[in-house]
Amino acid sequence: MSTHDAHGSGGYHEEGSYLSGPPGMISKIWQWASTVDHKKIGVMYLVSVLAMFFLGGMAAMAVRYELLDPVRTVITQMEVDGVMTEVISTTGDRLTPIAKLIGADSANQAYNRLFTLHGAVMVFMFIVPSIPASLGNFFLPIMLGAKDVAFPRLNLLSWYIYVVGSLFGVLSIIMGGVDTGWTFYTPYSTTTDADHIRVVFMVLAAFILGFSSILTGLNFIVTVHKLRAPGMGWFDMPLFIWGLYATSIIQVLATPVIGITLFLLIFERVMHIGIFDPSMGGDPVLYQHFFWFYSHPVVYVMILPGMGIISELLAVHSRKHIFGYRAIAFSSLGIAAVSFLVWGHHIFTAMGELAAILFSGLTFLVAIPTAIKMFNWIATLYKGSIAINTPMLYALIFLFTFSIGGLTGLPLATLSTDLHLHDSYYVVAHFHYVMMGGTVMAFMGGIHHWWPKMFGKMYNEWGGMLGGILVFIGFNLTFFTQFMLGTQGMPRRYANYVDEFQSLHVLSTYGSWILLIGFLVHLATFIHSLIAGEKAPANPWGGLSLEWETQSPPIEHNFHHEPVLTHGPYDFETVVPPHCDPKDYPLPENPSAH
Amino acid sequence: MMMPVLASTEPGFLQKFIFGGYSASRPGAQSDALFMMILWFSIFFFVLLMGLMIFFVIKYRRRPGVPAIPSPNHNTLLEIFWTVVPSSSMLVFFVLGFQSCTEKMVVPDNAMELNITAVKWSWDVTYPNGAKSPESQPLSYHKDPVTGVVTKGRDFPIFYIPENTDVRLKMISVDVIHSFWIPDFRTKMDVIPNRYTGYGFRTPALTVDDIMPDGETIQRDMWIFCAEYCGDEHSRMAATLRVVPMDVFEQKMMEWNKPKSPVVHGQQLWKQMCAACHTVDGKASTGPTLSRATIDGVEFGYGYDAQLVGGTMVPRDDNYYRRAILDPHSEVIVGYNPVMSDFSGLLDEDAVFALIAFIKNLSDRGTAGDSSEESDNSEAAESAGGDS
Repeated sequence: MSTHDAHGSGGYHEEGSYLSGPPGMISKIWQWASTVDHKKIGVMYLVSVLAMFFLGGMAAMAVRYELLDPVRTVITQMEVDGVMTEVISTTGDRLTPIAKLIGADSANQAYNRLFTLHGAVMVFMFIVPSIPASLGNFFLPIMLGAKDVAFPRLNLLSWYIYVVGSLFGVLSIIMGGVDTGWTFYTPYSTTTDADHIRVVFMVLAAFILGFSSILTGLNFIVTVHKLRAPGMGWFDMPLFIWGLYATSIIQVLATPVIGITLFLLIFERVMHIGIFDPSMGGDPVLYQHFFWFYSHPVVYVMILPGMGIISELLAVHSRKHIFGYRAIAFSSLGIAAVSFLVWGHHIFTAMGELAAILFSGLTFLVAIPTAIKMFNWIATLYKGSIAINTPMLYALIFLFTFSIGGLTGLPLATLSTDLHLHDSYYVVAHFHYVMMGGTVMAFMGGIHHWWPKMFGKMYNEWGGMLGGILVFIGFNLTFFTQFMLGTQGMPRRYANYVDEFQSLHVLSTYGSWILLIGFLVHLATFIHSLIAGEKAPANPWGGLSLEWETQSPPIEHNFHHEPVLTHGPYDFETVVPPHCDPKDYPLPENPSAH
Repeated sequence: MMMPVLASTEPGFLQKFIFGGYSASRPGAQSDALFMMILWFSIFFFVLLMGLMIFFVIKYRRRPGVPAIPSPNHNTLLEIFWTVVPSSSMLVFFVLGFQSCTEKMVVPDNAMELNITAVKWSWDVTYPNGAKSPESQPLSYHKDPVTGVVTKGRDFPIFYIPENTDVRLKMISVDVIHSFWIPDFRTKMDVIPNRYTGYGFRTPALTVDDIMPDGETIQRDMWIFCAEYCGDEHSRMAATLRVVPMDVFEQKMMEWNKPKSPVVHGQQLWKQMCAACHTVDGKASTGPTLSRATIDGVEFGYGYDAQLVGGTMVPRDDNYYRRAILDPHSEVIVGYNPVMSDFSGLLDEDAVFALIAFIKNLSDRGTAGDSSEESDNSEAAESAGGDS
């Protein structure tokens, strides 16, 4: 039950994949640089966002390294030329060499620039485009049975805009970096480093990257509406597509607001027009409202595609129909809708009581669709045939870390507890559990799941599992300790701290080293796969969505014939997966009536 | 009246472990109790979900040739159940959080009001009688008895408040946004440049646990942190809040309000507002050192010429320092960034006069020689190290 492929299942003829190109380096590069193929663009995005992940990750390692110990002044009495003199030195400023390298005046300043770099790179250049632009670009058209996205040239343009935006960011970093924090709060951001252009460059980078995001979102919305395969209704779409669809709506509606806000910020900085700076008649808190009106919804741009991936991984690798398909699909849209109403919970400590109470109540609404998804995912595993492999491992890690991330959000939505936890390490831990424990874990799972399809090579399963376990241990050691630091009173963005916090900070830094090793194991596994990996079959996991119908890697036009949908993406009880041996995929004798 | 009941339950070991100690105020204890309630709710659902997940993964692990067991992929009743349960719990948390938040914000009208001005990178606290605290202490001071090597952390100011008293904070910033956080009271509020913000708390009554090792002093120290990122020395924008008996507090108030010589007054002001960036030990920091020093061939100190960005040299005299304090960006010293806040709204003429007198006194080219200033100098030096 597959598509009406004239060649029948298993009998398709091999054709050059999208990866095969003309001989010669220059023509190959030109072929990629000028491509309108969504798969090539997806791969180019994948490489770029992973490069940014590496850059942001290195900054995080430096930040954690500085936090190994508090600063100490050491005063020694020494005899110099017969006179007793006090020799004063300091310890604990571990970033002093980096400060020299980037032209910062002190280790503190280097720290401030590095955490800004970490935040800005990870948010604007990595996590927002990560899943939609790479895996989304590659698989959204294939899973819909389309040849490409609706506007292939716009798609290529969005990648070039992304590169230009990232170059502005990197340029700003090369010029020494900025110390505004990734949130660019005014009036600090309009006054710091006043005589230097690099702050403007970093803000401009975020501004430009927004357009790339809008174009991708627009493209996806039109593709989902217009290019579904014959026979594919809205509720026949894989849940990954639903996640991407909800994401795209937020991208198109919210991103223009940050564009305007950042533009006003540049205006104020460069032309001294008072919008946010009180000394010029502006209101600094207005900036925070504008900023979070985008940046809260964008949190769901980051997580919704990840949730979509998890729905795919759990269903395929446990050979079970996803539980509560419609509830998951609608909760994605529900989250997208509610996401626009909760920005105020980022600024409880800077707004009036009445507004704070309203935003607290609205914030709790987000918890409900998220909880529904969690229950549905766990219920999907019930009576499944659960494979333990790297994609499944990452799906399970996601369920573990994302539940912690979600549940630890409750005291932040609760007003009185938030007054204590706001701007503390608790918040840092919470959003890393959601963003890294959620999105990055889903992304890693998704890359492993679709790696054979994208590159036509299998990866070493042991390498994948080992990397996954190291990442899991390192991640929890790094960030769980930070919950305690926060409740005990450690403020965020501190280059230095008072002594009682040291032991937890040391544990957290050790965790970051394990995390780094885990990601390096993954990198090695991927490189090994590309060089010496076994050839991947068309359908290694027995998936039923349309990307598994075509060969691995797919041909340039994805399918030999336009696929016609004859079964749902999760009908594992009644359908032998395409290109698979029925012996390996026995069907239950009495499929349930549903 | 659910919250007082919750708060009255004796905090358990876990709560003490999570928060590193009990809250110093009743609303703080209530919000801790609420946190614990949410935590136990979370632990329940986390263990339930993870338990099921692990159980399913083991029980239904893949066996070659064995298909998945058919089961429904939808169950309306079950789905309604797990939508309604979290929703109603959320409602409970919302209401309790809102109630306990109002407790944190409301202060009696007769509360003692502290005026707090935030400036990069220090807190300026003014008491109701106009006094300001001159005291500070270094963190983890340690002097090796054998080698005489002194190791210490950063120097933080101490603000005294009386026990068992309602306190209201009225806060404003002169530059960027800061946030005044006292973890022991479990509350913080942003300090914003263009409007007053604030909150209040009742200080705890001191107990036998608060008697210091010397057996006589009774006091309790808490941290104040700046929680909103504000630049280079953000992590130094901390202070100690010291709860003391009323008589000690009143004595301090009287002491601090006594007229003092400009040099001593200037030294206190330096500690409160300048010490985060300007050293008096000749070491470079975020800003130039105020004492007489030669760093990499460049001269510092009163009476020595300063080289400005743009190449001009200006003599460091009284008027130079006046400009440097009140209009810091008009003349920027080579090698330093124009990050200093404008102190013109924060310091009156007396204060500027006192600061210049203090700076002058640090240099061999200050008009030294008169005996009254000599004695001021030794007094100042004594009180600088006095709290260590």
